[in-house]
Amino acid sequence: MLNQLTEVKASMSIYEAQEEEVYGILAEFSNPGTLLHAAQSVREAGYSHFDTHSPFPIHGMDKAMGLGNSIIGWITLCGGMAGLALATWMQWWMGKVDYAMNISGKPFFAVEPSIPVMFELTVLLAALATVAGMFALNGLPRPYNPLFFSTEFLRVTDDAFFLHVAASDEQFESGTTTQMLQDLGALHIETIRDTGEED
Amino acid sequence: MSESVKRSNPLMWFLDPLTSTASQSDPEYRYSWSKIAWMLPLAIGILGLVVTAIGWATNSEQFYYSYLIGWAFCLSITIGAYFFVVIQHLTKARWSVVIRRIPEALIWSFPLLAVLSIPILLGMHDLYHWTHHDLFDPASANYDPVIAGKEAYLNTPFFLARFAFYFLSWTWISYKLYTLSVRQDNDPHPEIAPKQRKYAAIGLALGAITTAFAAFDILMSLDPHWFSTIFGIYFFAGSFMIIMAVMALVSMMLQRKGMLTGLIKVDHYQDLGKFLFGFVVFWAYIGFSQYMLIWYGNLPEETVFYRHRLEHGWGTMSAILLIGHFIIPFIVLVGRWAKRNLALFGFMCIYMLVMHWFDFYWIVAPVLHEHVAMSIYDVTGVIGLFGVYSAAFMYRLSRHALVPQRDPRLHKSLSFTNT
Repeated sequence: MLNQLTEVKASMSIYEAQEEEVYGILAEFSNPGTLLHAAQSVREAGYSHFDTHSPFPIHGMDKAMGLGNSIIGWITLCGGMAGLALATWMQWWMGKVDYAMNISGKPFFAVEPSIPVMFELTVLLAALATVAGMFALNGLPRPYNPLFFSTEFLRVTDDAFFLHVAASDEQFESGTTTQMLQDLGALHIETIRDTGEED
Repeated sequence: MSESVKRSNPLMWFLDPLTSTASQSDPEYRYSWSKIAWMLPLAIGILGLVVTAIGWATNSEQFYYSYLIGWAFCLSITIGAYFFVVIQHLTKARWSVVIRRIPEALIWSFPLLAVLSIPILLGMHDLYHWTHHDLFDPASANYDPVIAGKEAYLNTPFFLARFAFYFLSWTWISYKLYTLSVRQDNDPHPEIAPKQRKYAAIGLALGAITTAFAAFDILMSLDPHWFSTIFGIYFFAGSFMIIMAVMALVSMMLQRKGMLTGLIKVDHYQDLGKFLFGFVVFWAYIGFSQYMLIWYGNLPEETVFYRHRLEHGWGTMSAILLIGHFIIPFIVLVGRWAKRNLALFGFMCIYMLVMHWFDFYWIVAPVLHEHVAMSIYDVTGVIGLFGVYSAAFMYRLSRHALVPQRDPRLHKSLSFTNT
């Protein structure tokens, strides 16, 4: 159970620090192309707890990282269905039960005039569910991230490209992982420690 | 016109205004299918028209209505192609360049459709109730004050003038867009793309007005008491939906025959699928908007259209239209998977062609029949017209490169990926 929770958190790129508070290894790459290639190689080497960080979205990165299709579509569908059901019930209950009123001889409840309401609520709840689901799947909001201990990492919103391999990965071994990232052409590599407090 | 691209002779002009440039096209964009590609649809089309002609001899009124259904079906595909080409130029779209020659070849169907409209103009007295003079004569027993009030618009000379104007404006814009694109294939010039954009801008404004009024005149005025200002958009929605299916099907056929292999990718099909799905929903949105306002207003001259289509067995047809044209394709096409599975997507494209025809059947046939009826000529009419239409299209497609091969954005289209 605890292991499953770790995996779910890892899918949101929330990793747990291992012995000696090692959170993982952060490697900087020179451009989007090398980062893409590095991500693919890291995945092919069997790692699953790793993430890439770049100032802008990189085409093909999800494929290189082996992320597969997001389940966000199903969350959207559930939100939409909930909106549809809620609107149908609301139109019927308000028009026919709670405040029945004769308006130019129209039925108290009819599908025709309810469809715009059903449509709007479907869209509204689908959209809200999508945004909420996106946040949840990404583990956001996340004010604390051990990667922020790295001063180099601050450039990630500007002009730097990073790959982070988490220590919680089964394959993780400080020496070999560092060697692999070096072979992939990392500009520089640092070990991130999660001390839980600012230094 | 440049040296390498010449005007064709006046008789050929209806099929293709330019002489063939196929020999000058790059090998990977060259058409390489046998003549059967256009001879088979032509044979089927002529057969269909011959059978439909029997209807003209035996039951001319039914013939005119059946013919109109098939003709409006072909017209709407062409109008969809027209808007697609125009919008791609105006938005400087990259993804679609590799498939743009297909709608470009389709828009030169307007001259052919103008010729094929002759039976409709001959049958106007049977098709359009408002052509009867006694409706406008207060002394007559058939005097109809509602239709008489529309006399300034609904009269034969004005109708014919409008009809001519629609086809002249469509043909003009199509001529410019088609010939500019073929010229670019053989004689690339940096001024061609801005010129295409210019005519696309004129074409969009002109097309918006002409399409709406053409829909009013050709289809809505079949029910001269009824009117709906949204009807033009309803017609457009169906047209823009079906062009996506047509482009996808033609691409699949060409690729199956070994042309454009690897150039049109599943990513392009997925985008066509997104558009197809989007405009299936848009069609339903517009169709429902029309229905709901009429339901709410509850005015006799407006409800007559739907009342008739919900009575005497036509209700079943209306239900088939709603489920078949919206609910089924909505459920099937909503997922990403369905748009990237070409067998399923291809099937849905053919299915939507049938449903699109059914939409016209649902608009036109109830005007003639009090009780629900589907004539054999409704089917043979569309087979005949669509056969001839697609034969002319395939023939036109074979005469030039299959891709706007010197378009400045072509390389962006070839490297396009869908994430």
